[in-house]
Amino acid sequence: MAAGTRLENANPLVYQRSKDRPPSAREEDEAETDPIDHREIFDLIRSINDPEHPLSLEELNVVEPVRVHVNDEESTVTVAFTPTIPHCSMATLIGLSIKVKLLRSLPERFKVDVHITPGTHASEQAVNKQLADKERVAAALENTHLLEVVNQCLSGRL
Amino acid sequence: MIYNLEVNSNCALVINYRVFWFVLGVIDGKYAALDVVEALGTCLTNPEPRTRGRGVQLLSQVLQVSYSILKQKEVEVLTIFYIDRLKDHHLITSHVLQGMKFLSLSPVLPEGLAVATLKALFQEVHVQSLMQSERHSVYSIISNFMETREKELKGLGADFIFGFIQAMDGEKDPRNLLMAFQISREMVTKKYELGAFVEELFEVTSCYFPIDFTPPPNDPHGISQEELILSLRAILASTPRFAEFLLPLLIEKLDSDVQPAKVDSLQTLTACCNDYRKKEVKDFLPALWSSIRREVFQTASEKIESEGLSALQALSTCLSRSVIDSDAEDSLDSFLNNVLQDCKHHLCEPDMKLVWPSAKLLQAAASGSHRATYKITTSVLPLLLEEFNKHTQSSQRWTILGILESFIKLTHKWERDDNPLSAFKDQLCLLVFSALTDSSVQLQIVGTSTLAVLGTQQGDLLHTDTGHHAELCLSAHSAAAMAASVTMSRIHPSAFITRMVPAMTGELSTEPMEVKESRGLLKAPRQRCVQALAAISTHPDVLRHTVPVLLRHLMDIQKGSLCTEVEDAVSACRSLQLVAEQCQVAEESSEYFHQTVVPCLLGLAVRSALQGCGPSILCEEPVIAALGTVISTAYSHTHTQPACRTIARVVSLYLDGDASLLPENDLPSTFQPFQVRHDTSLLVVVLVTLSLSLRLQVGVPQRDRLLGQLLEMCCVSGHRFTYTSAAKCIAGIVNKYPLLMLLADPELGPEAADGFSLLVSDSTDVLNRASHADIRIMYRQRFFTENVPKLVQGFHSAGKDNKSNYLKALSHVMNSLPKQVLMTELPSLLTLLLEALSCSDQVVQLSTLGCLHPLLQEAPQIVSLHVDTLISKLLSLATSPTMKVRIASLQCMHAMTRLPTHVILPHKARTIRALTQPLDDKKRLVRKEAALARGEWFLLGSPGR
Amino acid sequence: MKQRLKLEGRLAGHPDSRAWFTAWSPAGSLLASCGGDRAVRVWASEGTEWVCKWVLEDGHQRTVRKVAWSPCGNYLASVSFDATTCIWRKQDGGFECITTLEGHENEVKSVAWAPSGNLLATCSRDKSVWVWEVDEEDEYECVSVLNAHTQDVKHVIWHPNGELLVSGSYDNSIKLYKEEDDDWVCFDTLEGHESTVWSIAFDQNGDRLASCSDDKTLKIWKEYKPGNEQGVMCNGSNSCWKCICTLSGYHTRTVYDVSWCPNTGAIATACGDDAIRVFEEDPNSDPHQPTFSLVAHVPKAHAQDVNCVAWNPKQPGLLASCSDDGDIAIWRYEAELATGCST
Repeated sequence: MAAGTRLENANPLVYQRSKDRPPSAREEDEAETDPIDHREIFDLIRSINDPEHPLSLEELNVVEPVRVHVNDEESTVTVAFTPTIPHCSMATLIGLSIKVKLLRSLPERFKVDVHITPGTHASEQAVNKQLADKERVAAALENTHLLEVVNQCLSGRL
Repeated sequence: MIYNLEVNSNCALVINYRVFWFVLGVIDGKYAALDVVEALGTCLTNPEPRTRGRGVQLLSQVLQVSYSILKQKEVEVLTIFYIDRLKDHHLITSHVLQGMKFLSLSPVLPEGLAVATLKALFQEVHVQSLMQSERHSVYSIISNFMETREKELKGLGADFIFGFIQAMDGEKDPRNLLMAFQISREMVTKKYELGAFVEELFEVTSCYFPIDFTPPPNDPHGISQEELILSLRAILASTPRFAEFLLPLLIEKLDSDVQPAKVDSLQTLTACCNDYRKKEVKDFLPALWSSIRREVFQTASEKIESEGLSALQALSTCLSRSVIDSDAEDSLDSFLNNVLQDCKHHLCEPDMKLVWPSAKLLQAAASGSHRATYKITTSVLPLLLEEFNKHTQSSQRWTILGILESFIKLTHKWERDDNPLSAFKDQLCLLVFSALTDSSVQLQIVGTSTLAVLGTQQGDLLHTDTGHHAELCLSAHSAAAMAASVTMSRIHPSAFITRMVPAMTGELSTEPMEVKESRGLLKAPRQRCVQALAAISTHPDVLRHTVPVLLRHLMDIQKGSLCTEVEDAVSACRSLQLVAEQCQVAEESSEYFHQTVVPCLLGLAVRSALQGCGPSILCEEPVIAALGTVISTAYSHTHTQPACRTIARVVSLYLDGDASLLPENDLPSTFQPFQVRHDTSLLVVVLVTLSLSLRLQVGVPQRDRLLGQLLEMCCVSGHRFTYTSAAKCIAGIVNKYPLLMLLADPELGPEAADGFSLLVSDSTDVLNRASHADIRIMYRQRFFTENVPKLVQGFHSAGKDNKSNYLKALSHVMNSLPKQVLMTELPSLLTLLLEALSCSDQVVQLSTLGCLHPLLQEAPQIVSLHVDTLISKLLSLATSPTMKVRIASLQCMHAMTRLPTHVILPHKARTIRALTQPLDDKKRLVRKEAALARGEWFLLGSPGR
Repeated sequence: MKQRLKLEGRLAGHPDSRAWFTAWSPAGSLLASCGGDRAVRVWASEGTEWVCKWVLEDGHQRTVRKVAWSPCGNYLASVSFDATTCIWRKQDGGFECITTLEGHENEVKSVAWAPSGNLLATCSRDKSVWVWEVDEEDEYECVSVLNAHTQDVKHVIWHPNGELLVSGSYDNSIKLYKEEDDDWVCFDTLEGHESTVWSIAFDQNGDRLASCSDDKTLKIWKEYKPGNEQGVMCNGSNSCWKCICTLSGYHTRTVYDVSWCPNTGAIATACGDDAIRVFEEDPNSDPHQPTFSLVAHVPKAHAQDVNCVAWNPKQPGLLASCSDDGDIAIWRYEAELATGCST
């Protein structure tokens, strides 16, 4: 964010980050199969950086474990995210970052649906439709500027 | 301004278009909704009903998007308009209902209009002759009003119920039924006045019971049979006022031949018992009981049986809720009497088919409440006890005991003081013990689980004679018996010392052939006995009595006075080790080990080594190793002082044959373990474990002399176990031993290579800090500079079979070195490391990967030269069968992204594709690393990285 | 259901990328494909194998979204997210890019040649449909820009006899255009889909139109000419297109493509649930309220979303498909003999 640019939501509420998941005995056991569960998906997206704030989506409560649903057998993942304010112009970008992160991190068999938590954004339907349109998503990722912002959201924090 | 419209009756598209503009206008506040009515004026009054219909349709579409922003006056006028239109031509009704539906959602609807709308609906519209979607609108209107206008609607009194009943009567569509059921239920639960229409409301809904609905294939509405069943059940079971109609209906369906109807009836019965009291069910009890009993006795379906039992339990709970009046009959009591009368006698026939169904029925009835449990249990228990004793066949006793066990479990449910079992505890214990000593294994198994259940009961049910336990542990087959003993030894140590230990002692000195067959001692009775002794040694007092028994047993083995096997000795050592672990925290027990146990064990070993006549069992490798482990365990928590004394005396024993440490100073000859005689050499193992478990500041006396002897043994001995042990012993003492030469040995090479790991790493088993080894970095560095060139040279000159030994050793060494030391040697080492990655030994792979990982960050220039090979090898290891290897290789793939971009970018597409497979690894920890690595590779050469 | 769709071959069409679209040459002998790797590939069968004969690179800077063959089979048009359309000419055993059409503001989503070969239509996320005229010198001139849609235009096709242009859009509608006084105008809008219309296809004669959508349905539309016996009202001299059938409940995710076989009459769909499905009209079904049955269903036709299905124009029952997994698959559909025993 360039200095002097006005933030839409200058003082967001900041939430505590959850603790890392400690490896369980089961996870350490070679023979066991660990199904992909909602916490695992949440762990993939929680550290995504917000495009506006030096905070993670988890810290802004944009993503929450309860809004992640996964069915490993049927290979479906659904993530609802909550923009910090109902008129947040970054909503599409945040959704795009979540979607891209999951597309890069999950097995290809998964169908990934990312949408806005119902009732939390003024342009909910329009944003959802864009995020669901894979042609638009693909084209967006070929747009250098957009890709740059998305990659910044997905980069590890310095 | 808004133009007067002429609705083109031919083209619906035009309407859509105009609706669009209207809506925009209304939302913007440019027009009021009434302007729309006015604009539609001619059209709404057109003599042609279709045209009027289109007008209303348009208006309703406008309402659809604007109802929430309409002003109260507008809502009022529109509502009155719509009410009036209900009288119009039937072609228009559909659009009128549409509009009314949106108006019913308006928050500013003036009071009175909800009632007026409903009255008009009930009066003007014959709901069931409408289309499905129109009927749906009617239900929506009712439902919307119930949500927001409850008070007004209640003002309608029973007329409201009556109107609704008429409206839904005959409904066939599942979507509408779901709504109608929901409305009906709310009428009951929100206490609308039902007036004289209780039975009518019941009839209009219960006529669908039981639901038989198969959704059409590809049904877009996704309504399931289950949804309808639950929704209907919710209304049927919603009020006790339906009881007099519902219960006969349920009995009728239960008596039919249709399986799903039976299940549904039983589930509905269970549901309504939640709200019912004695008053509602009393008259139907005999019929209900006989139906449930019949189903459980006769059905082949587990589903029906379990639903029947649930219903019976619910009935019992329901009856238990009623207060016992002094003047009225206790209906629970008489109901349970019926159940007992019909079922109890079947328990006397354990061979017959009805014994289990009867037991389940009795238990279901009993589980309704504490009172029910008490009544049934006190009635059934004496019978079962009597029957157990009456029957002699194991299978019959097995059945009875099984039933008994489930009744005992039942009493767990209520945490009350008046446990109905208390009165029978002595008999129960006797019975259980007799089951445990029965020759039937099956019976013993049920016996032990019953014992466990009894053990967890409220009240001390099991304070009986623990002497029985000695027998139990020896004879019973399952681990449950052992677990029970452990628990009880904590509670009754004295009983165990006085009764059990002597029994065990006797058992140990008995030769197997003398064992009575009737005890069921089929296999390894001594080992079980030895295990039992260890298991119960949880208390210092017990330990003082059990450990001598174990030691004596070992002595007997050593003397050869028993007919024994290697396993007997190993098992005795394991038991001692277990005791040593259990007593680590207790200082007095620890001291006891140091004072008595360790010298005794050493003495035993020394004596058997010196024993002239034939090989002793105690000199077998596994036994020696096991002895060593006991000593090592005993010292792992001990203090310096005693350890210091012990090691000094051990060393002087080994070097000078000073046997003053040993308890009985009666050795047949001088002890000289370093004379290479097979048996004595084995004792080195004891020394190994001992030295490892001591703190280094204790200092090993006569260190150089000892080392000299050990080295000599290491080089001269032809016995592999001896010289590897000796080598490990040297390593333990000085952290250093001559492994290098062993690498070339095809047999010993792999172990020697692992020895490098022992020497230089913090690996867990030998030189960890818990074992007090002093790990010195400088030492490692010196080791490296001295040995690495030799290793590399050895690798190049080694044959194909031995190369991996060098790689393994090398990767171990590199893994633990400061990187500055490594860098200078790196170029020559890297080719070696790449070969090591292809080695099939997973340990080599792991340690090589561990070694590569930091190099990727610290020596990018050198690593860059090998990127192609490296990526291929790492990607192939990412699918290794070993999880740790997969993780480590993925971490390296991740670290590779830190190499100069131009070096790795050409590999981006291939790597990203290859990394999709580990994303679907079955282990979460692997997937996590794969996702991290793949994410970084995506960012390579991409903007915003 | 008897499996009537058999896999004949699977080609790593656009490895490490997505395969977006495939198109058969008019003679049915060549298959062109395009994808996220910015390349167009042309495949031909050699014996039982399908081999890649040409790779057309360097035409586009971004994803190549669709390709279309000219009716004579000598030209190939490709459209790309880089906002351009490339025209490739087949000659001397290769393909040469002879011109690049620019004009769209952003991603070009679809391209189609009119049956005459003189007209080309393209559409774009810039909401417009462009009609281009081709002269004998291979010069292209834009003759019309149609801004009827309010959103991203996803697909454009020509009627088999060429006088009608149809487009489907993110705005959920389908629009029909015809030439009027030297200009192209939108004369009808088909509404009914509840989300993006991804693709549209005419049947053999052009009497009916199939459309597929993000709303997981397939719709069949029929042309009613002015003065038709059924009394369907038309606007002036224009035909009216009416939805006569909606196939819902079959697809579990977005339907990305539909292809109507000119030889067998079978309709194939490509779906985001990785499946390929084939529907056939029931024998004796009412032409005004036809019913269709699912006659073939390959649930895991591809490892990821199926983006395209295309019936071979000459070989009845030969079907090509392609997917996000980068593969192209060739299928053989066995039409059932009309024994009247179908259910």
